[in-house]
Amino acid sequence: MSQQIVNTPIAGTFRWLKAGGTEIDVPAEQNESYYALLEKEERTIVLEDDAAAVLFRADLEKGSVLHLIQIRRQDGGPEGLTRTDVQVTCAEDAQFHWYRVVLGGDATYDNCSVALRGEGSSFTADIGYRLDGRSRYDANCEAIHMGRRTESAISASGVLSDRAHKLLRTTIDLRRGCAGAVGNENEDVLLMDETVQNVSVPMILCTEEDVVGNHGASIGQPDERLLYYMASRGIDAETACGMLAQAKIEAVIGKIPDAQVQARVREQLHGGDGGEEA
Amino acid sequence: MSGEKTYVEDVDRAFYDFRNEEKDVYRVRSGLTEEIIREISREKNDPDWMLQFRLRALELFHRIEMPDWGPDISGLDMDNIVTYVRPDTARMHTRWEDVPAEIRDTFERLGIPQSERESLAGVGAQYDSELVYHSVREEVAGQGVVYTDLESALHGEYADMIRQHFMKLVPPTDHKFAALHGAVWSGGSFVYVPPGVTVEIPLQSYFRLNAPGAGQFEHTLIIVDKGAHLHFIEGCSAPKYNVANLHAGCVELFVGEDAVLRYSTIENWSKNMYNLNTKRARVERGGKVEWVSGSFGSHVSYLYPMSILEGRGAGCEFTGVTFAGAGQNLDTGCKIVHNAPETTSYVNTRSISKSGGISTFRSAVVVTPKAEGAKAAVSCQSLMLDDQSRSDTIPAMDIRTSKADVGHEAKIGRIPQEAVYYLMSRGLSEEDAKALIVSGFAENVSKELPLEYAVEMNNLIRIEMKGAIG
Repeated sequence: MSQQIVNTPIAGTFRWLKAGGTEIDVPAEQNESYYALLEKEERTIVLEDDAAAVLFRADLEKGSVLHLIQIRRQDGGPEGLTRTDVQVTCAEDAQFHWYRVVLGGDATYDNCSVALRGEGSSFTADIGYRLDGRSRYDANCEAIHMGRRTESAISASGVLSDRAHKLLRTTIDLRRGCAGAVGNENEDVLLMDETVQNVSVPMILCTEEDVVGNHGASIGQPDERLLYYMASRGIDAETACGMLAQAKIEAVIGKIPDAQVQARVREQLHGGDGGEEA
Repeated sequence: MSGEKTYVEDVDRAFYDFRNEEKDVYRVRSGLTEEIIREISREKNDPDWMLQFRLRALELFHRIEMPDWGPDISGLDMDNIVTYVRPDTARMHTRWEDVPAEIRDTFERLGIPQSERESLAGVGAQYDSELVYHSVREEVAGQGVVYTDLESALHGEYADMIRQHFMKLVPPTDHKFAALHGAVWSGGSFVYVPPGVTVEIPLQSYFRLNAPGAGQFEHTLIIVDKGAHLHFIEGCSAPKYNVANLHAGCVELFVGEDAVLRYSTIENWSKNMYNLNTKRARVERGGKVEWVSGSFGSHVSYLYPMSILEGRGAGCEFTGVTFAGAGQNLDTGCKIVHNAPETTSYVNTRSISKSGGISTFRSAVVVTPKAEGAKAAVSCQSLMLDDQSRSDTIPAMDIRTSKADVGHEAKIGRIPQEAVYYLMSRGLSEEDAKALIVSGFAENVSKELPLEYAVEMNNLIRIEMKGAIG
């Protein structure tokens, strides 16, 4: 085991919130490291969650497109915590798409840092989670805009129940020189039980004039009108909430561009019924 | 129209930036020692419990670490700060005619006596470390409203009330500069509004720091009892010096059941000031605190008024604008703790950065498990006026109950060029067009202020905007 502080955001906030970096014990074994260099190509990589600590690095050269898909299953995968560190740089017109689904596990720590160096490069993050029991999801996702007309969209959506705990820091860092850049963050969290804890720290940092940065968040219970409508159709609240949770995960999977990969992901999630829901 | 930028030097801020020579003042040595604390306590004729309080706070100050998450304050050397400066007047006055001419002239130039005559129910004026003037209209006093300096209250019939409330909301353990305040506080106002009383027009305290290299540590304690209403206005300014000045005041607001307190601030400290102020309100059942905050001055600011919503149905509104120009790093925002059912909060802020200025909106909304049915909405918008400046938005939400509804939105951008072109096509210069747009951007605050203060705020924006075209 080695003790590390992970998921430290670019900017800090009030110390008492304890939303800065998180100190964890990372197992020394089961570490994996990946590196990808993409040259004018499009590639899809699915990272299995069978290692405790994963470092994934990629450099996307001009015009390259990388889809990185990561699933943390409800059962299977390593017990205890997993930690993933994704570091990607994008050259001109390169695109990086990160699809992250977390369905359980004791503790999941994700760091995803993307440097949009090249003009016109872009980054999208679609994070979906459904946590219950005492699951903990702790993540830091940052889009660093350096090139002109770069774009980022970080979207997180999930459901917390029982004693689940989620801490998500997202940062759009619009640095001097990234004129014309646009960064968007969006978060939608459903809280199902009194004992959950949700911490959200959505940051926008800006040292460039000609940019747009937006953030929106909605945190709370399922919409009462929606539940009422479902009830009028004979669907009880618990089932309806389960459907809402499933819909959030499906929304992430649905964005994966390759139908075969979608089916494979669903298979992982549902244990063999992949494809039928596509 | 050319797309090139034109930069014009800042106009001087002569309205605020005038200074008086120091003469016949009493000041302690610079730095922070037990001897200095005892000297201040003696000068102020503290009761013994207050001396002991100060000494404990001093110990805490030495123990607590500097904040590591905000703007750099390494330029602030407490060894060079004089923590107590008594102006050239033996005591506080209740008639402007009795205030020494030079000090009176300072407040005349700032328009305080005029505002008092025209639109205020009472005024307190602090010069360096001491209140020099305090007055409340007879009809307001007749309602049972108490508005006096904190030192008088500490020795009078409200002594127990002061002891019961002083630094209970902001304990010296809270952070390093709360501890500093506890050790060296001097001046400030005490307000008590009895149950059911509505004070129709505002009270105002104005804080002027004239001495170079000095600190101002006034303490404002306001208790608005059950069902009462009050609007309190705080103003502050200082001339600019080449040495660092420090403001580490403390504001504690106790808002009773079904009471409403509006606390408005137009802060225009000089640009050598470290403004490390702490403000906090506790709101009981059905009560409401409304913060209206304009931050224009200081070199570095850490300012996050906190509202603790402690009773069912308590509410908070925070409306703020921050304008950071050259040489300024203004870290402002708010903190809200929902700690009771059906509490509500609404935050609406605007930040403007220009000429290398740094503005940061930093907030925390905490909803505890007790706060079933809580609703919170935060909206912050930032405007970048050039690519030499910086604007950061760092909000945080910690939600610990499912029965809450929390929304947040933030936006950073620049002045829409189409709007500038439109106004220019109607005959406005580019500078005036931008000043008008920025004033409109800050309207969330100005519309909440009494007319005279809204005018002052718009003047400040106009002055700041003279510095940047393009």
